Amino acid sequence: MRTEAIDPPGIAWQRVSPKYITVRLVEWALANLAAVLVLSAPLVFVLLGWWRWPPLWLAITVPAVMLLVALWRLVLIPRQVRAIGFAERDDDLLVRNGIFFQRIMAVPYGRMQYVDIAVGPVERALGLCTVKLHTASPGTNARIPGLPAAEGARLREQLAARGEARLAGL
Amino acid sequence: MTADGPLTGPPSVPPGAAAPETNTTPDDEWLRVHPASPFVRGWVALAAITFFFGRDLFERSLQGQPVFEDGFARRAPWLLGGGAVVLAVAVLGFVLTWYFTKYQVSGGYVRVNSGLLSRQHRQARLDRVQAIDIVQPLLARIFGLAELKFEVADAGESAVRLAYLKIDDARQLRATILARASGALPAAGAGQSDASPAERSARPAPEAPEFPVLAVPPSRLVGSLLLSEQSFFIVVGGIASVVLSAVTDNRAFYFYLVPAALGLAAGYWNFFNKGYNFTAAISPDGIRLRYGLLDTQAQTLPPGRIQAVKIAQPPLWRPFGWYRMQVNVAGYGTSGNAAEGNTRTILLPVGKFPDVLAMLSMVLPDPGTNQPEAVFAAGLGGWDSDGGFVTTPRRARLLAPFAWRRNGFAATATALLIRSGRWWRELVVVPHQRTQSMALQQGPLARRFRVADLVLHTTAGPVAPRLTQAGLDEARQLFDEQSARARLARKRQTSEQWLRQVVPADESRQLSDAPGVDPVATPHSLKQHQQEGHQHG
Repeated sequence: MRTEAIDPPGIAWQRVSPKYITVRLVEWALANLAAVLVLSAPLVFVLLGWWRWPPLWLAITVPAVMLLVALWRLVLIPRQVRAIGFAERDDDLLVRNGIFFQRIMAVPYGRMQYVDIAVGPVERALGLCTVKLHTASPGTNARIPGLPAAEGARLREQLAARGEARLAGL
Repeated sequence: MTADGPLTGPPSVPPGAAAPETNTTPDDEWLRVHPASPFVRGWVALAAITFFFGRDLFERSLQGQPVFEDGFARRAPWLLGGGAVVLAVAVLGFVLTWYFTKYQVSGGYVRVNSGLLSRQHRQARLDRVQAIDIVQPLLARIFGLAELKFEVADAGESAVRLAYLKIDDARQLRATILARASGALPAAGAGQSDASPAERSARPAPEAPEFPVLAVPPSRLVGSLLLSEQSFFIVVGGIASVVLSAVTDNRAFYFYLVPAALGLAAGYWNFFNKGYNFTAAISPDGIRLRYGLLDTQAQTLPPGRIQAVKIAQPPLWRPFGWYRMQVNVAGYGTSGNAAEGNTRTILLPVGKFPDVLAMLSMVLPDPGTNQPEAVFAAGLGGWDSDGGFVTTPRRARLLAPFAWRRNGFAATATALLIRSGRWWRELVVVPHQRTQSMALQQGPLARRFRVADLVLHTTAGPVAPRLTQAGLDEARQLFDEQSARARLARKRQTSEQWLRQVVPADESRQLSDAPGVDPVATPHSLKQHQQEGHQHG
């Protein structure tokens, strides 16, 4: 499926590391497989004859639907990761994500209050990190996941330096 | 903070602003709040204790029983002793908290130390002050006390509270803080380390003169409450329950109305109590809002602290031409108490179009357009391209069948206007220099119609600026232009100290001709200011 991007024209996006797909896969496995297993429990009980309710078709349908949704999400993960991008412009940082629900966010350097780097266990094993930007607004939900650790540190320093140079009040 | 030499001469006090010179303490001295404040604060606890131990005696005397019956006579010493101990502990606790709470205004900071077992030191930068409120709950008002509360835009918990001060001291402190924050009075400390202590002390800032702009008559407030959305649902609910009772022959439905009515009465009372006697005034320190029937509150919003404004009109208000205005101010939205946050974010509980314009002219002294009236009128009631608005393209009318001709935006030189809603009309105004960040969003359905949403992020509060279903090309263009405009506006605004931006420190004493003062100010408004000065006392 080809989707038209809403990006402003003429932006060279920096993409995140393909290794981030692994991180997403682990997250996916933890969340979705657990959900499918839990939802399959009634099916097992019904098959074993321990439970009379729910009817067999319902006991099959619910985990099956969940499994389909989970597989669909699994298929999407590589494309979603490829859709994440950021671009350092002169005065603001652009962050984009999403394929179906696209979002492009512009965070002016002068508005950044602080920059976080977060590293989860899987990310650490792969040498990745997540950079988060915070402004005075709770709506600014800008995170760039899946950066190589060195690149993340560089970006943070860069953002901090630029933020200081252009710092404005609230 | 810019370093700044000692003042060249004593400040010339504007004639109208003769503030009571009660607080002439030096800067660096640690002060305590009023000794009565623990009791005003803890009166609920004291009342509860008294009630608990007094109830028994009272009931007995009412019932004509002997106050001291056999069993009671034996228990009485224990009861009295226990009561006395609890009371003493409570009073001691209050007194100790009072003793250990100290505050200080110096060196560009307000510092508050509090806490008995776990000490808490809090300091707030004066030039980061977002808003100052003087709050007087009923009991404090009776004693002539007031709570001073200010929001500071630093990370973490933002509100600093001083409860309670004498009302004159509170106003004096507010004037001092605002004078320091505005840059009218150089902050002692950092830039003034060479000034002699005597020079730094004993210089209370005069209260800035202010000019009344509008007042909301109580009749209009009552009308607006009766015609609010809430009332609409009450009427619908009432009719539904009556019909249900009639149809089902079941009287029980009436009983559900009783608690509902009680709750609603409380809600209405709250609104009325908070919105009563609402007045707005302008001063060089910013917008002053005063309101309240039993508990009064006086808010000061310094210029440029308002992050976003929403002007809304529910359908029932339309025949009367009433509007409501709400604002986002850093710190207001995050205050712990939601109800309190709600009332504080109201810029105008109910007002007509001229009132709205007057308020807007204070919030946005420079509207950035030649015919502000026409643009704002189009934003509030206009359709299609009235007033230069760009609306949802016709191809996307299925997404918003009623509102597509309303949903739109217009950009002036200083602010972005976003209008929406056909029945619930809304206009959101965001000054360019207040935009934090923004995002362009598009879902699959919107992509089908080639439209996109633009979300502007502002500080927490009731206003969430979102331009819905703008044409893709327009939205993209706006996204770019808006970044550029916000960047320019940020560059233009250099200082957090609003008076320093426009006038040199020496001239800033001439407060009365500071920009932003409404031309409606007449000579007698000064007199009014003085009268008003005694209103709270």
